[in-house]
Amino acid sequence: MSFELVVAILIATVPLLVIFPSLFALTTWLERKALARIQNRRGPNKVGIPCTRIGLFGLGQPAADGIKMLFKEDIVPNGADRLFHLLAPILALIPAMLVLCFLPLDFSFVAVWDESIAKDIKAVQGFALDGAVIFFFAITGINTLSVFMAGWASRNKYSLLGGMRAIAQMISYEIPLVLSAVVVVMMVGSLNAKEIADAQMGWNWYVFTPWGLAAFIIFFIAALAETNRSPFDLPEAESELIAGYFTEYSGFKFALFFLGEYISMFAISGLAAVLFLGGGEGPWVAVYPWLAVGWFLAKIFSLIFVMIWLRGTLPRLRVDQLMAFAWKFLLPISIINILISGIAWHLREQGAAVTAGVWGVSLGILYVTAVGLNKLNRANVKPREYKYAE
Amino acid sequence: MSFLGGGIFSGMAVTLRNFVGSYFDPDRLTTNDYSWRPEGQLPQSAGEYPREEGEQLSDATTVTNYSRNFPMLLHDGGDNPMDAIRCVACQICERECPPQCIYIEKDYGEDGKFIKRPAVFDIDVSVCMSCQICVEVCPFDAIVMNSQFELSTPNRFDGLLLRREDLLKSNGYYHRIHPEEAAQRDQRMAEEKAAKEAKKKAAAEAAKKKAEEKARAEAEAKAQEETGDKEEEAQ
Amino acid sequence: MVAPNYELIEQDGLETSLLEVSMGPHHPSTHGVFRMDVKLDGETVVDLKPVFGYLHRNHEKLAENMSYLANMPFTDRLDYFNSMTNNWAYALAAEELVEIEVPERAEYLRVIMAELTRLVNHVSLVGFFVNDLGALGTPLMYAFREREKILDLFEEASGARMMCNYFRFGGLRCDVPAGWLDRAREVVDQFPKFLDEYEKLLCENEIILSRTQGVGTLSRELAINAGITGPMLRASGVAYDLRKVDAYGIYDRFQFRVPYGEVGDCYDRFMVRMLEMRESVQILKQALDGIPEGEIMGKAPRVFKPKPAEVYGRVEGPKGELGFYLIADGTPKPYRYRVRPPSLINLTVLRDMCLGQKIADAVVILGSIDIVLGEVDR
Repeated sequence: MSFELVVAILIATVPLLVIFPSLFALTTWLERKALARIQNRRGPNKVGIPCTRIGLFGLGQPAADGIKMLFKEDIVPNGADRLFHLLAPILALIPAMLVLCFLPLDFSFVAVWDESIAKDIKAVQGFALDGAVIFFFAITGINTLSVFMAGWASRNKYSLLGGMRAIAQMISYEIPLVLSAVVVVMMVGSLNAKEIADAQMGWNWYVFTPWGLAAFIIFFIAALAETNRSPFDLPEAESELIAGYFTEYSGFKFALFFLGEYISMFAISGLAAVLFLGGGEGPWVAVYPWLAVGWFLAKIFSLIFVMIWLRGTLPRLRVDQLMAFAWKFLLPISIINILISGIAWHLREQGAAVTAGVWGVSLGILYVTAVGLNKLNRANVKPREYKYAE
Repeated sequence: MSFLGGGIFSGMAVTLRNFVGSYFDPDRLTTNDYSWRPEGQLPQSAGEYPREEGEQLSDATTVTNYSRNFPMLLHDGGDNPMDAIRCVACQICERECPPQCIYIEKDYGEDGKFIKRPAVFDIDVSVCMSCQICVEVCPFDAIVMNSQFELSTPNRFDGLLLRREDLLKSNGYYHRIHPEEAAQRDQRMAEEKAAKEAKKKAAAEAAKKKAEEKARAEAEAKAQEETGDKEEEAQ
Repeated sequence: MVAPNYELIEQDGLETSLLEVSMGPHHPSTHGVFRMDVKLDGETVVDLKPVFGYLHRNHEKLAENMSYLANMPFTDRLDYFNSMTNNWAYALAAEELVEIEVPERAEYLRVIMAELTRLVNHVSLVGFFVNDLGALGTPLMYAFREREKILDLFEEASGARMMCNYFRFGGLRCDVPAGWLDRAREVVDQFPKFLDEYEKLLCENEIILSRTQGVGTLSRELAINAGITGPMLRASGVAYDLRKVDAYGIYDRFQFRVPYGEVGDCYDRFMVRMLEMRESVQILKQALDGIPEGEIMGKAPRVFKPKPAEVYGRVEGPKGELGFYLIADGTPKPYRYRVRPPSLINLTVLRDMCLGQKIADAVVILGSIDIVLGEVDR
């Protein structure tokens, strides 16, 4: 265990542990300001530099919220299971932070000042797993367990009901999530995140293909449901009967749940950027290799902005409509998507005309399937005309 | 939009337009930005506000020239406001106030005679509901509505009980906060005063005329008596 | 876990249990302090009991101890969103007692204020309705931006934004300031733009369509039998509007239509209110064009002491028929003062509408009835 290796490991992991929580703070600030601007108001703008009157557009707000959460009293309900009450938020956070490691962020530009460290960093970097995508899905499954523990350990029938609903939602949306990722994995032939990102070099992003676009949309919708964001935020719903599985949490444990939710938002956006948006690819990357990190983060942030935008626009789905949407709509489309992409992969070397024909046919099939399933499920839901009396 | 998901897309377009528009068009914003007070200034308790008459304690308020909050008593200027106070303690507002938040005591001089001003005039603004009925029923235009709202005080026993000195404001202050209403009120008072003066003058003239006529009639009667006497004497 | 008060039902040898939940007075989505005791079988509502009275302020008995004029500010606080129409209903009842004639300009201004109040109420309702559906406040903020403009108009006319206390027996308290009519014209002219934006945001949204259509259906017969009035009745298919039936004030001089729905579900109630806002804009334009100059108060008696009589004055409030039943006995104070609260009477069918729906729908149905607890509890 040489000194250089230790430094390499630290350089590989510490930025992750420092950058992403601060990005989390930035995301909470961004969400509050963006939601406020959508609603025609200003959002927090008074909390800036402490002990002065300078409100730096409210950038001190996440720090103030964090300090407030730390100082709150930690209340555990009487008769609740203390061990699981403590374990649930921790178990919500650890998988989220763990899957951040596979993201293909190339920090080797740090090592330009010392060549000897560079190759060690490349070895340690990003846990270069051959099965990164499977690793991701396996670890985010633990999230479901933490929700169950939170609901059970609160000794509150409303939290339990909320937790059950949340688990049902999360496991039913995992299937379209995985199936849409399978499309890209099939096209590349590997599960390694770095190879998937490299296969999209030169603006060959998978989102520009019909099956990739459909897979991206399905992935994005399922990602919203996995992280309990609106319009699928039934477990956190305020105007519903139940305030959700984390009703009984106060203080720092509540903050840990939120941290876990936002970091899993990051992680899923990161996976979407890697699979569909070419992860790290952008103008001038060949000239300045360190710009890849910037482009990657920019893509993650734009996806997060779309998530915030959807949160500000759409109302909530009811629980039976949510489940019907997953099982009767997203699942058939994602299966058909896999078939189409498989056929397209076999025909990929046949020339431009065949490719264009395949694209047209696949677009047609996907659109017709979507419309048909929609009509099947919600046949008589449409805007109405009204009459007037004089 | 009629394609699948079209409603959601048009909703998102509306939201985006509002998002971008809120940066460029300040009229769009629903909320006011409450700006900072001058350094060190706290909301003052009711007994010592405002430091200067007519001073608003914060600048980005939503108080307009028409808003009403709690009543105030008017005086017509001068060094000692109590000399020019318009209220004569007739207690009509105390009777008509719906939540009964006004308490008045008349002022008596040394000889026990009633001086036309209140000794005690208390309004409990924690009860007052700003209905303005006291203003409507006052025959002397002595009580009108103020528009200051920063009355919070740490004293919970009588911090919200406004006494006569707290309520006294000058007519000039009234003109500053409600210019149109004050101008109308002054005009009406001037007209009424002129009408009363005219009536008094007319009554005085009529009385003078009547007195003259009466004197003339008496003189005539006396003259007739004298002529009658003279006739009797002549006979 | 301690067992809550379950009721066990046996069916085919399997035991199920009902969950009894009280959506208690403190709740972010019931409009005011209102409680619903709901019995749930899984997600389906099996029984529902509304409990109110948390905001009872003894309005009707208090009124027996105060003069007629002193009651006017308290009517503001009945349905605190629509203070102007509450005032008008009370003024109508009292003017019938004493037979005062209201001048033309005052009648026009009364109609303008009432229609602006209708806009304020419907705009708040559609905002809160979509907020209950879960849209996290965005449509609510757009709706409240329009409401702020109208409340500014109210403040200029009467001095207060919500508790206006503007109507008097025989007219209004004071005239509107100079330039108010032009400002009102501006607000009214750009209101349809907001309605168009709102419709684009909401009325084709698939999520809203699937959550409100077919939910909380109220049949025509039940609506008529239960005494429902207002937009709820019109959504169930009965085109009954007091502005056309009674033609109080000068409503017979204005051209407007009355929209009505057919199915009577939450979507119909929502859309009927959106369409009524457009009709109110039409009435406002006509009234603002035709308003004459003149007096504001008619000849009211110095002391309001009506002869013994009983009278019922009603208006088409934004929530339904708001009526005041007064019994006068020759003294300056009323003998009996009774308010017909439209929100309370519309609430009586809540249970029938909610049975068989999901618990999430119960919140939506309550939002579509449009209750205000100030009126329900008085």
